[in-house]
Amino acid sequence: MALRWYSKVGGSPGASEVHELGIAEEVYRGSRSAVATYAAARLERVRVAVGELTAIEPELLVFAWEAVTAGGPDAGAALEVERRPARQFCPTCRADRPRDAGVWLRRCEACGGALDVVGGLELDLLQVTFLADDGDDGEGGGEPGREG
Amino acid sequence: MTEVVDVRSRVLAANEEAASALRSRFRADGTLVVNLISSPGSGKTSLLEATVPALRDRRRLAAIEGDIATERDADRLRRLGVPAVQILTGGACHLDARQVQRAVDDVRLGVPDILFVENVGNLICPTAYDLGEDFKVALLSVTEGDDKPFKYPAIFARAEVAVVTKLDLLPHVSFDLDAVRAQLATLNPGGTVLLTSARSGEGIAAWCGLLETRLAAKRGGAG
Repeated sequence: MALRWYSKVGGSPGASEVHELGIAEEVYRGSRSAVATYAAARLERVRVAVGELTAIEPELLVFAWEAVTAGGPDAGAALEVERRPARQFCPTCRADRPRDAGVWLRRCEACGGALDVVGGLELDLLQVTFLADDGDDGEGGGEPGREG
Repeated sequence: MTEVVDVRSRVLAANEEAASALRSRFRADGTLVVNLISSPGSGKTSLLEATVPALRDRRRLAAIEGDIATERDADRLRRLGVPAVQILTGGACHLDARQVQRAVDDVRLGVPDILFVENVGNLICPTAYDLGEDFKVALLSVTEGDDKPFKYPAIFARAEVAVVTKLDLLPHVSFDLDAVRAQLATLNPGGTVLLTSARSGEGIAAWCGLLETRLAAKRGGAG
């Protein structure tokens, strides 16, 4: 898939050359909304889970995240992607059936029956770490000890 | 000071809420909604052009056309008397549920029996976006590679129906139909495979039969 970055990065919702960009915009929107009730000065780290079967590339997602946050109050915030493996279960054999990388067979090698997909479809926002606004805008971490 | 908030929500929660609202609306209206996904040029619009004459006397049809630019696809269907709304994504590689919500609010669409949503030509990006459809259809033309299901497994594993198109060209190309069937059977054991040619009309009756069956099942289930 060719990557073409136009100047409208971070523009209108859904206007994205690659779908990772649209996903990164949603991650950012969700992260900001999760801290809306706090006086969050700056996002520091956002953790997401991305399943192996979602057709979303973690590296492209991080690249897109950097583009989405660049130039804004949260520029430099880290996006950590936890890769969740595909898991398939045979309801007949009542057993997990491992899947080789890049292979999407959904038939049980033992009994020939159809496998259920029980993991790998995750696309979840897990956790947001932020710097609370305590009136100190100095660099290097702010002062601990004050309730936000 | 640094604070941590656990969120645990779906990244595409906003899209999924919109899709869920669409699904309720389509259930109440008794509208069957089909999300058509393929590479550019696989014949999504041509399949619909072949479908219209077979169904239009019995069923109200409508279409939402997703493209990066131009109204050409919507115009092709309007010429056949099918109300069609064009969504221009301005560069985006897929449709999302909020765009479809705005399109179904367009009075030109009315309340159809069957609504075709023709996604932006792309086998990857539309996969993650639920549009409130009853099922996804993945199209594959015989002029494309016969290894495509394995190369783009996410969509072929998820689409309930795979439609092989341009079957009239099969004698002229090296496309191993059995290999494609075998790939689809392992990717999606419960899926349906249809062989069609919009030009010769082959397989169009079976495709329309599938749509009628699904429409009847949806309305029977809702009633």
